Amino acid sequence: MTDADAAQFFQDLLWKLGDAFNDGRFDRLLEHVNEWQVRAYSGEGKWAYAEGPFSPRQHDLSDSRLVLITSSGHFVEGDDPEPFGVKNMSQAEAEVRIKDFIRAEPELSSIRVDTPVANLKVRHGGYDTRGAQVDPGVAFPIEILRELEAEGRIGELALNAYAFVGAGSQRRLLKDAGPQWAKMIQEQQIDAALLVPV
Amino acid sequence: MGHLARLMEAEGIATVIIGTRAFQSQLNAMTLPRVLITLHMMGKPLGPPNNRETQREVLLEALDLLEAAEQVGSFEYVATMRPSSSK
Repeated sequence: MTDADAAQFFQDLLWKLGDAFNDGRFDRLLEHVNEWQVRAYSGEGKWAYAEGPFSPRQHDLSDSRLVLITSSGHFVEGDDPEPFGVKNMSQAEAEVRIKDFIRAEPELSSIRVDTPVANLKVRHGGYDTRGAQVDPGVAFPIEILRELEAEGRIGELALNAYAFVGAGSQRRLLKDAGPQWAKMIQEQQIDAALLVPV
Repeated sequence: MGHLARLMEAEGIATVIIGTRAFQSQLNAMTLPRVLITLHMMGKPLGPPNNRETQREVLLEALDLLEAAEQVGSFEYVATMRPSSSK
């Protein structure tokens, strides 16, 4: 985003704030921020493919084993992945070191699906994690998945769900970590995966 | 996450992605099997914190897409949030 874009964003935000104060429609502020997020990340990026693999569903979901994987940066308290060897890295430090994360190979945290959400922590230098800390369900919905398993909508959840920091090296994910993770998942006789990028 | 979806599909695992509009163009460019786009903010693709009803609705729509999609590139928007320019 250029300086001129940033200036335009804040100018429009202030105008919309004035409008919202006048008519009480504060949802337009959310819409404004959302539109600018879309604008900031617009474009295809460097990874574009003309074709893609498609694995047809082998069973009804009610007979399938499903795994949840998120790039939200959640982990279980007491099982901190300690990025770059740093113990108890704060969210603020992760934000300062975002360029280090983007160059690094992502690390996968295993999280048992019966983990109480109160035991979950989150750290990710690439987005506002406050909502994901208050309620992991915004990006790591293990509680609702457990409900759907109990209701029979899903046959079975895999023993573990997984999380990593999505702001990592995409090339390393593609060449190194990703193939290992996919193989590890495949070896658990998992039929389907719910993937949640943040 | 798009790369992980492609790698898992190649291993025979059916995948569905829940993503926000901010990353729609990148996800679309990766020719992924099944993608559900929500209009929520970055970092909260399933909805606001403690809004269990919205989160569950998004999740159920993703599972429906997982079951219904028959070909690569199956893009859907959360029905109650479908923008006028979608599809």
